[in-house]
Amino acid sequence: MNIESNEINGATVITLGGEVDLEHSPQARKALLDAVANNKKVVVDLSGVSYIDSSGIASLVEAFQTARKNGGGFTLASVSESALRVLQLARLDKVFTIAATVEEATA
Amino acid sequence: MRSDVETDTIISVSGDRFGDHLELLSEMSRDFAETGDIEQALLNGLKRIVDYMDAEGGALFLLNEDGETIECRACVGPVDITGLTLPTGQGIVGRCVDTGDGEIVRDVSKDPSFKGDVDAQTGFRTRSILCAPLSVKDRHLGAIEVLNKRGGDGLFSPLDLNMLVALGASAGLAVVNARMAAELVEKERVERELELAAQIQRSLLPSPTGPEFPVSAVNVPARMVSGDFYDFFTLEDGRIYFCLGDVSGKGIGAALTMAKATSLFHCLGKAIHAPGHLLDLINTELAETATQGRFVTMAAGLYSPETGEIVLANAGHEPPLLMDRNGGFTTVPAAAPPLGIAPGIAGPEGFPETRHKLDGGAIYIFTDGLTEGYLADGSEMGVEGLKDRLRQTQDAAPDVRIDAVIGLIHRGGAPLRDDLTILVLDDKDAIAERPDAPHKLPSLADDEEGDWLVDIRLPTQPVMLKIIRRVTEQSAKLCGCDERTAKDIVIAVDEACQNVIRHAYGGKIGELVLSVSKNDDNMVVRLRDFAPPVDVSKIKPRDLDDLRPGGLGTHFIREIMDQVDFLAPTDGEPGNILRMEKRIG
Repeated sequence: MNIESNEINGATVITLGGEVDLEHSPQARKALLDAVANNKKVVVDLSGVSYIDSSGIASLVEAFQTARKNGGGFTLASVSESALRVLQLARLDKVFTIAATVEEATA
Repeated sequence: MRSDVETDTIISVSGDRFGDHLELLSEMSRDFAETGDIEQALLNGLKRIVDYMDAEGGALFLLNEDGETIECRACVGPVDITGLTLPTGQGIVGRCVDTGDGEIVRDVSKDPSFKGDVDAQTGFRTRSILCAPLSVKDRHLGAIEVLNKRGGDGLFSPLDLNMLVALGASAGLAVVNARMAAELVEKERVERELELAAQIQRSLLPSPTGPEFPVSAVNVPARMVSGDFYDFFTLEDGRIYFCLGDVSGKGIGAALTMAKATSLFHCLGKAIHAPGHLLDLINTELAETATQGRFVTMAAGLYSPETGEIVLANAGHEPPLLMDRNGGFTTVPAAAPPLGIAPGIAGPEGFPETRHKLDGGAIYIFTDGLTEGYLADGSEMGVEGLKDRLRQTQDAAPDVRIDAVIGLIHRGGAPLRDDLTILVLDDKDAIAERPDAPHKLPSLADDEEGDWLVDIRLPTQPVMLKIIRRVTEQSAKLCGCDERTAKDIVIAVDEACQNVIRHAYGGKIGELVLSVSKNDDNMVVRLRDFAPPVDVSKIKPRDLDDLRPGGLGTHFIREIMDQVDFLAPTDGEPGNILRMEKRIG
């Protein structure tokens, strides 16, 4: 798994790539929670996610809830097919705000 | 001498007109009493008074609800001032409303209270005024005034005043009556609306079921509408969703929240087949739109008639009672706070779920209105009392059992302290359909038929998951799964392995064996650990829960795989087996 963090148009864009599984989700969780603590607008680019499990989804949910509690925005962007499937299984595809592209989410 | 003459005159006049007075009084009193339209009756009355007094005009003022202004509600004469509003205490009529005393003002120009404003606006010229209050006991309702006597000496007499005071009292009574009638109509309207609300509310509850259906429930509202609710329905796969809840507070507010909670359950339950997640979603919905301080306690569960297992989530509700086949009880306390207090209070795996094998027994969910209800001897039934009664009626049909319990509190006419609600789910009939006795876990045949594809032994470390995923994906493709199904199976197996890695060895590293076989059109995945064996006959739902993959992961597994079983190994070695099956094609 790899994690990148960038600032685009005032938003923090966290790019997750590769396999977000039990082994790596603690890192993803920390990066996501740091991002929502420091910026009211957070976008998570999931285009490069080839696999994500329930612990990865749990990290996204936790960051999403924290952002909402702080009145911040939390958007998933460019969600890969694998990640979308898991979001669907968890019935979370309608819960998260999902943008087609990072550009759209940071506009 | 002079005063004597005047007195004589009045008496003689009185003698002539006494009969007329009585007649007018009685007719008007009757009109007022019979009227359905108080405004019209007042106007008619005023016309007759003005006529009778031989005056140029008259007006009737009523005190407004604000208590600070009076408004002309009926008017007779050359100028119509109906609707004119004056502050109380001002002018002659205002003074009359204030003091409650009638008076004759023979020459308004000599009375400092007279305000010429109305005359100035209307062009009417007021010379003299006769004014009497409309009052009932000490309630000042308004005043009636008659202006400018036409005949005789053009002056109102004390007799006229007495007459007007009497008519004013009669009109005052009519106004009070009319207001009471209007309040009664309003009260009846509110009652009709409440009755309608109660009807709609009853329609939100599921219809009574036949004796072959395993769930029955009863709700008896303490008032017209209830803050309690229940629901149950069958999913397409045959499992049955059920819930029971109690909204804090009473009356129409609680009823509206109940309508929302039960609708959310009914609608979301069809899509979310996990009670913990469902309650989490309902919680968030309710919390986002909560009326201050209102919350909902609710227990929701999913029952599989095929296995007799229920998955239960309890958000702050009175602990449900599990009754085994021998009449023994276990309580299931709430593991989460009530719904509607704060959104997102549950973790990503939703509200905590517990699993219970009913094994031919039953589960009862009820509200405290039942356990805190008064029995005929004045004592509370209590949870122990409820258990005793349920044990006594154990052999009766489920609906008969709960009707009997309700009947102990809801005795004809006795007022209820609170809404009474109870739901029963009985596994007695379903157990007969099951081939294997559900209290014995099925054992795994050592040599399960089919082609073995994979049999690998790995340490329980997260880093191994990558290997497990590759192996699973390749095996699935070898079994003939398409790309999409293979990826799904990878998710299920990964989640199942994660649970062994996280929970089976209590934080230590142990071993797990992953086996995949192809059996006819099924891919069979078995996952074995070597953690200390659990005595299956003494296994408690909670222990069972810890060994099973929980929450979201479990949901993925059940969603993706067609059959999931928890098995005991038969080779004499300790451990636990999770067997998952997926139909191919």
